[in-house]
Amino acid sequence: MLCPNCDTDNIPGVDVCEACGTELAGMDLPEARSGFRGKLLTARMGDLPVSEPVLVSPDDTVREAIERMREAQVGCVLVATDGKLVGLFNERHVLTRVLRKGIDVASTRVSEVMSPKPFELSPEDPPAFAIHSMVAYGFRHLPLVSQGKIVGYISVRNILAFLHDGVIADTASVS
Amino acid sequence: MGSVEKLLAKVRIRDLPRRRVCTVSRSTSLGEVYRLLDEEHSVAVLVCDDNDLVGIFTERDILNRTALEGDSDTPIGDLMSPIKGSLSTDDRLADAIALMHEGGYRHVPLPGSKGEKPGLVGGRDILLLIAEHYPETLLNLPPRLDQRMTTPEGG
Repeated sequence: MLCPNCDTDNIPGVDVCEACGTELAGMDLPEARSGFRGKLLTARMGDLPVSEPVLVSPDDTVREAIERMREAQVGCVLVATDGKLVGLFNERHVLTRVLRKGIDVASTRVSEVMSPKPFELSPEDPPAFAIHSMVAYGFRHLPLVSQGKIVGYISVRNILAFLHDGVIADTASVS
Repeated sequence: MGSVEKLLAKVRIRDLPRRRVCTVSRSTSLGEVYRLLDEEHSVAVLVCDDNDLVGIFTERDILNRTALEGDSDTPIGDLMSPIKGSLSTDDRLADAIALMHEGGYRHVPLPGSKGEKPGLVGGRDILLLIAEHYPETLLNLPPRLDQRMTTPEGG
């Protein structure tokens, strides 16, 4: 990694130039590229067609959470207390934590079966972060939180829509 | 290494790693399907008559149709959804994305032909392939791009 100040060739990943002390932290992070690949790093997830959050309280029953998902035709609800995200409950949990365990949906609270403290992203983060989290950690739904406020969530479907609108629809309109 | 645009236009469904998918018959019970989906970490079962794909039953079907009112003895043939859209292994990734986006599907079945077993393509399979082609853009990311260490060791 060449120092922009003194041209010293430093070891990749160092924080400061060993010769002149210039701050190098972050300079070897991936740079935005042209085309759609650039958009993956430069677009803001807040500008994507993200999903509207469906909120439930931790004290709501599992039945109420399932009914909310059905009404809104979504695969996950975000669990919030006073507007603050405390958990996430999705359709996979319905199968693995409710039906397979024989839990009574009318008396069990969402807080007992949700994933507490879910991994969250900011609407300022680029789509590359969401894809990374989905591929590397297997997350299906990523809540978007800005200054403690829940603004939406992003799902695999949203990323496919981003790919479709940014690549396939563009290509089709040219050809 | 080409652009995302070229990748989606060039790569065929057959180039995707085949995900594990459970196939069942119409008479398989709902309770058995729950067990399979849970233990096999699968998102859907494909319902087949011999090797012919006749229906699909997904996690979304569970949420919408059986989570609150299902009887675990019901045969899955009475609950499955008909196949609305399907792909072949010759289709391109771009075709898969267009079908999923326009049809609102998250998983699209591959009926299989010439002795191939039926399969399933999910949105995550496509993201995984893109990530593998562009690891420096999508995989080799620090936990947070805006993260700066305050000490040389980061400790």
